[in-house]
Amino acid sequence: MWDQMLLGIQTAFTLQNMLFAGLGCFIGTIIGMLPGLGPMSVVAIMIPVSIQIGDPSTTLILLAGVYYGAIFGGSTSSILINAPGEAAVVATSFDGYPMARKGQAGKALTIAAISSFSGGTIGAIFLMGFAPALASFAILFWSAEYFALMLVGLSAVAAFAGKGKVLKALMMTLLGLMLSTVGESSLFNAPRFTLGLLDLQSGIHFVTLAMGLFAVPEAFFLALDVLRGKKGGSQEAREISNLRINLKEAKTIAPVIGRQSIQGFLIGVMPGAGATIASFLGYAVERNLAKPEERKEFGQGSIKGLSAPETANNAASTGSFVPLLTLGIPGSGTTAILLGALIALNLQPGPLLMQDRPEVFWSVIFSMYFGNIILLILNLPLVPYIARLLAIPRTYLIPFVLFFAMAGAYIGQNNATELLLLIGFGVFAIIMRFADYPLPPLLIGFVLGQLFEDNFGRAIRNANGIQFLWERPMTLALVIATLAFVLVPLYRDWRSRRKRPSLG
Amino acid sequence: MLSINRWVALGLLAFSSGYGYLAFTYRILPFERFLAMKPNTLPIGLAVAGMICSIALLLMPEGQDSASGEEKTVLGSDHKYLESPGDYEWGKGVALLVLAVVYALSLRQAGFLLSTSMFLIIGGVMLGERKYWILVPVSCFASFLVWYLVDEVLTIFMRPLPMIFYQ
Repeated sequence: MWDQMLLGIQTAFTLQNMLFAGLGCFIGTIIGMLPGLGPMSVVAIMIPVSIQIGDPSTTLILLAGVYYGAIFGGSTSSILINAPGEAAVVATSFDGYPMARKGQAGKALTIAAISSFSGGTIGAIFLMGFAPALASFAILFWSAEYFALMLVGLSAVAAFAGKGKVLKALMMTLLGLMLSTVGESSLFNAPRFTLGLLDLQSGIHFVTLAMGLFAVPEAFFLALDVLRGKKGGSQEAREISNLRINLKEAKTIAPVIGRQSIQGFLIGVMPGAGATIASFLGYAVERNLAKPEERKEFGQGSIKGLSAPETANNAASTGSFVPLLTLGIPGSGTTAILLGALIALNLQPGPLLMQDRPEVFWSVIFSMYFGNIILLILNLPLVPYIARLLAIPRTYLIPFVLFFAMAGAYIGQNNATELLLLIGFGVFAIIMRFADYPLPPLLIGFVLGQLFEDNFGRAIRNANGIQFLWERPMTLALVIATLAFVLVPLYRDWRSRRKRPSLG
Repeated sequence: MLSINRWVALGLLAFSSGYGYLAFTYRILPFERFLAMKPNTLPIGLAVAGMICSIALLLMPEGQDSASGEEKTVLGSDHKYLESPGDYEWGKGVALLVLAVVYALSLRQAGFLLSTSMFLIIGGVMLGERKYWILVPVSCFASFLVWYLVDEVLTIFMRPLPMIFYQ
């Protein structure tokens, strides 16, 4: 194995591959920052270009760099204008955006950069050390466990929905699951719920839904409320000195980074879980672990609340390479696209990849260290310039936010119906926000919906019924965890209502 | 008069019911009838769960949800816009959405460059920008740059010119 690792180091640290890793991070950061384009679409867009390179190691190194860069770029737009391009960075906006609106955009970006770097680097160390062991653990999971894992992921939304919002969050998750059943599915022969519309045949696209739910309402509310656009904006651009974090803040986020690197990585390894669940779960866990006075800050600009999802999503992105490289199972939407690129390069991903093409396997892992350093030295100096995005006058910012959101859905599809659908989702999201419904659970339900149904179907077929839920110990444990996730907050809500009857 | 929360819950109940109706009446192919998991198995379950959830939301006593008290965060509650509607520029918000619809519909006929430039210019003017000598070139350049990056650099086809040039 040492020989193989050495071969990987040699391949990763050639000048060409280092340049491509840096280029990937740079392109990913810049494009990922645009609100309409999340890591999934950025990586998808880069595939035709990168395949032209021909060398599988270089291609994967470039795409992995783009992936990291796009996640960081996405968190930048989440922080600055509350327009996450991908579900994995939605949780970043919970505290990142309030920080930016309080005039601490620079500090928020610095914390995000440090957390991303730490999460990615620690994740890469784990990936190198535990890849074979973790792969053999992940291989124990059958459809029944995958299904139960999805249940845990979906019910976790109850954990991060605020007090009194549990039922609303559950409703939104169900709505997301319903939307995910639209169109063709891998399990069945005919498309479902298309209402006879050809454009819905292939289902609703993730980018369309995500942009409709997050960027369109943001543009609408910015236009509606003159003060909303101005808060923090021009003032923040001048406050470049505010970029540094002090020792106390560093000490506050250090344990969060430590915990979330491990938790994020482990969640990332689970196929189907990925960076999205890792970031939401990371946020929820840190909120629950926080002292009562710190907990009040969550959602209002807490540095822990920002550091947790940022660390977790980067660690999980690294973790998601484990099932991809060792089992050929994508851990997330983006790694599914990477899987497509591997196949296009005539590589058979799976357990044999480590034996047959060790230079590809290990060079990708080693390039992650380099990629993370590039991200840190690229992003920290760029932070003041990135923060200036907030100084853009609203007369430019609002149409551009809306344009990038629409361009994200239009590029590659060339379909105007997709844009109408996006605006429709936007109007729906605006109404939901008036009624205080949390929108991220809808997106989580939608993202996991397809996998949820696939695994449920396979588990039912294998067991010829739903008895797998209680007959398989690991599945049963996960089902019990799900029930706890749903019932405990519901009970807590019910009890707090009984204590406050005067509000009724 | 029902509150926004009730209207939304009612809308969600209607959606879940409609979805449930479509799931229940879904035409199952002959060979799918004997499968343990049919195409409408999960959708029916989701519809029932959705209906239960939306009925619970509909019946939930007013004022006991997140819109009240401590859950109002810095950006959490957009309910404030409905509480004092006179303070906000609703016309601009709605006009922006209408402009987005017009932009979506014009892309096919007018091509990417023209429709995007017009969208950015009209959007800017609508929101109060009066420095046309900056707005017009910036909008045109941004449209061209995005088209160039997508079509020429990334080689993803995006028709730049109006349809008339291709007939």
